Amino acid sequence: MERLRKYGFVIGFLIVPVTLYVVFVISPYIQAFQLSLTSWNGYQAVPNFVGLENFTRLFKDEVFWNALRTHGIVLLVMPLVVLALALVFSFLLNLGGGSRGAGMRGVTGSTFYKVVFFAPQVLAVAIVGVLWKAIYRPDEAGVINGVVMKLGGEPIGWMSDPDLALWSLIAVMCWQAVGFYVVLFSAGMSAIPKDYFEAAALDGAGRFTLFFRITLPLLRDTLQVGWVYLGIAAFDCFALVNVLTLDAGGPDGVTTVLPVEIFKTAFTYSKVGYASAMGVALFFLTITFAVLTLRVTRREKIEL
Amino acid sequence: MSHPGEITRRDLLRRIGLTAVVVGPGAGLLSACATGGGTAASPSASAPAPATSAAFDPKNPFAVDAKKGLEVVIFTGGFKDDYATGLHQPMYTKAHAGATIKHTGTQNVGTMLRPRFLSGEVPDVVNNSGPEAMDVAALAAEGHVAELTALWDAPSFDDPSKKVRDTVTPAALEEGKLNGKDMTLNYVVSQRALWYNAKLFQEKGWTLPTTMEEFKALGDKAKAEGIHLFAYPGQKGPYYMLWNMLYTAAKIGGNKAIIDIDNLVDNAWKSDAMKASVTAWHEIFTKYSDKSYLGLDHTQTQVKHLQNKFLFYPTGSWLEGEMAKDKPETFEYAIAPFPSVTTADAMPYGAIQVGSGEVFFATAKGQNPQGALEYLRIMLSKEGAKGFVEKTGSLTIVNGSADGVELPPGLASAAKATDAAGPNVITSARFEGWYKELFDYAWAQQNILMGGRMTVEEYLDKVQKKADDVKADSSIAKQTRDA
Amino acid sequence: MRRNRSPFGALSHLALIVWALLIILPLLWTFLAAFKNNTEIFGDALQLPGEIRWDNWVRAWEKAQVGRYMVNTVIVVFFGTLGTMLFGSMAAYVLARYKFIGSKLIYLLFVSGMAFPVFLAITPLFFVVKQVGLHDSLFGLIVVYIAYSMPFTVFFLAAFFRTLPEAIAEAAKIDGASHTRTFFQVMLPMAKPGLVSITIFNVLGQWNQYLLPLALITDRDKYVITQGIADISTIAGYEADWPALFAAMNLAILPVLIVYIIFQRQIQSGLGAGAVK
Repeated sequence: MERLRKYGFVIGFLIVPVTLYVVFVISPYIQAFQLSLTSWNGYQAVPNFVGLENFTRLFKDEVFWNALRTHGIVLLVMPLVVLALALVFSFLLNLGGGSRGAGMRGVTGSTFYKVVFFAPQVLAVAIVGVLWKAIYRPDEAGVINGVVMKLGGEPIGWMSDPDLALWSLIAVMCWQAVGFYVVLFSAGMSAIPKDYFEAAALDGAGRFTLFFRITLPLLRDTLQVGWVYLGIAAFDCFALVNVLTLDAGGPDGVTTVLPVEIFKTAFTYSKVGYASAMGVALFFLTITFAVLTLRVTRREKIEL
Repeated sequence: MSHPGEITRRDLLRRIGLTAVVVGPGAGLLSACATGGGTAASPSASAPAPATSAAFDPKNPFAVDAKKGLEVVIFTGGFKDDYATGLHQPMYTKAHAGATIKHTGTQNVGTMLRPRFLSGEVPDVVNNSGPEAMDVAALAAEGHVAELTALWDAPSFDDPSKKVRDTVTPAALEEGKLNGKDMTLNYVVSQRALWYNAKLFQEKGWTLPTTMEEFKALGDKAKAEGIHLFAYPGQKGPYYMLWNMLYTAAKIGGNKAIIDIDNLVDNAWKSDAMKASVTAWHEIFTKYSDKSYLGLDHTQTQVKHLQNKFLFYPTGSWLEGEMAKDKPETFEYAIAPFPSVTTADAMPYGAIQVGSGEVFFATAKGQNPQGALEYLRIMLSKEGAKGFVEKTGSLTIVNGSADGVELPPGLASAAKATDAAGPNVITSARFEGWYKELFDYAWAQQNILMGGRMTVEEYLDKVQKKADDVKADSSIAKQTRDA
Repeated sequence: MRRNRSPFGALSHLALIVWALLIILPLLWTFLAAFKNNTEIFGDALQLPGEIRWDNWVRAWEKAQVGRYMVNTVIVVFFGTLGTMLFGSMAAYVLARYKFIGSKLIYLLFVSGMAFPVFLAITPLFFVVKQVGLHDSLFGLIVVYIAYSMPFTVFFLAAFFRTLPEAIAEAAKIDGASHTRTFFQVMLPMAKPGLVSITIFNVLGQWNQYLLPLALITDRDKYVITQGIADISTIAGYEADWPALFAAMNLAILPVLIVYIIFQRQIQSGLGAGAVK
């Protein structure tokens, strides 16, 4: 009886979410997987089966490898910068005010800073893209170059110089993401019992010791979660690259990421089959990244 | 040769009414009807129809059933869509009392329509334009695109004694063919060349340079005043520069330079003409322009043009309409032919590129294919075409569509230049539509070249290799042209 | 109040102020740009608008129909998030705390959805939605949003439910509470911090969604705000009406910013509490 009740409950709870998910997510994806084995152009009534041809071509495609390289750089740099900045800022916000009396405290105005830092997070990515496009403009009408030229400098091609474009792009990603992690880490820091710090301060530990010896280790869990979120975000920067970069992925393809290439191949060049193969590759890459990260930095109870 | 292309083109252009501008003695631009032919019959005249069969009505050649709805999808780009909703559609519902039209204006033609073509619920008339324009060849291969031969052979809306095909420029008929069949209606005529501010030239006492040497000399003069000679937008419209290089090559080596590229002829990109053209423009951009333009899009660049930050800008004759709202009084658009590169150019200075664009097609499997053809026929009527010219400031392929319309100075100068060009008309490069991948690659690499990170030889080698890849790719359907 | 005058304090303030300015100045610039004309937008970036041009805002409001899109978006995001939270927490709870055949498989199925690029599924999805008759409807969009929000929601909440102590659920069971009652009356309230933070995630995610509505909503009257912005951004490109674009952007930014500032305390504590658990 109890078993029956349990199964009835399990099924009752799962039926709606699983049905919705299977119908609207899984079934289109299965079709996309099937399409990766065809030369479908998006218009044919019956796709042409070509076996693994798309995949063999993919591995010889320099655009594909180029996009992977971009993903690799974003994946390494962006989370690192975001987490580092967020840690520093949240440390300053929560503990940077120095000790007064018994405890550590944050700087004055820390609420204000937190509100401001988080703000980019509530803006739609499309808006962030358009906004930064104006800031990065390569002539005196660009906000940064306007200042640079006032100071007598040469305008800088933030998005048009191939040595710079990717870094400019990563900077925008960081600009948007840092505030979120500041809030996350601030919460984490306020959860660290005050007496830890008091004890350490009594032992004469400086601020830096406090940061590296106490704050950082206690935030390990939060950091790991942050890394996974940011990693997944790095694999999907479609909207931002699409809006912000030179002709979606330029110059010289240095900001080309897989989603952008997939979109172009499928919809501009009518090679949906080939694009689907890229999508399948991207799927396995993201999965591999997520599994690896979770295995390496596994949280107590998260399983995968 | 059964395709005396250039002569035909010229005649056609003459017939569109472009030549009238020069002929008309000061009295209002394009006031004379170049076609001659007296006054067109009023469309509403109730002249008895000389019906060839009991069912055939020249007023309704496709036997449109007014009870059937018609669905029209219009790309809302630079032309917006009030020429459709405010003109062509009312004309349709007036001609077929009781007819209803479902109109959709969109910028996402592809995202919106691709799935609908797969599901079979298609609109009847599609204005296939913009960044998401669909692959018409692929759609046609699936039988989605109606052949337009019946439209071209139908009696014209204004004068039942004339066939529609005789009321438009034949070059447009040619350019609307896919694999030899009439598939698309390319509605708009445009000239692609260089554009400059005539008032600025007047004020400075400068004259148009006719050779690259003069062009560069003017560049030095302008530089002294802090003005760049030339600019093109690195974003959104970088292919304006590619056109520039292709059409200059056609001027150097004749239209064959472009036709060979379209036909994927081996080493077509490495022809002497292409080499000379790319070399010349590479020098112009690197010495007389500024890299910051590589980071700007077309509107941003065009606004800078209006501010006299540079002299010459390569694009089509739609430019004037596009910038009408921002144009200050001190700026007057005028067309400039490409300067001659060598002393032995195949075409004289003054040769102009003229082509048709803005693709419309009727669907074959829609609810109302007759209505679709009728809608296109109405677009090709005098009233429909003239209204389009008035609303958009661009010319249509319909002969005399600009009659009585006072053209803005830029368009008038384009008409004048076209007439002066005579038979020296540069053909449109068609691989842009046939092999988009190659076209995109060519301009993307061109930006690298202009950014100074590649040599001209490397550029032509790379693009040639891409052309070879496209040629070898069996999944890409091939097209050819002979003129 | 004693001011902290140590050099470290000053440096901290400096770093924080710089970052704050990096955020405030671009937003402020965008706000001012909405009053400029094209010449000013394309001229010296640092100049102020010559006059206050409200007509930019009027054009943006009329052309982009920002008001209507905003209402549509609020409806879709409200019900979308509500549904996501309800079904997501139900699925996550069962998958996290009940052992049964296939539980691991279902969990993996949900989680793997995080890795797939959405637009690859767009064309097949269009047909699925069409077949069930939900094309071009806000309800259809809500349902699809719920489905596409499942992977991350289930992933996050399942991890959260696992951390809740076993003893309380046991106690409820001994008291004779049904599984369903235990969930709604005991476990769900305990999971509140996690629910709040994943709600914020979903609101932000669905608010930002662009590709799904682009493919599923073609009726202009049913557009959501991201579609509206993209629309006017393209129009701005064709008509060179950049002032209207900036005005429209502000029309989209300001309400969100205001709502955010009103609720910032709840948002921050909610996010923190959920993630720190």
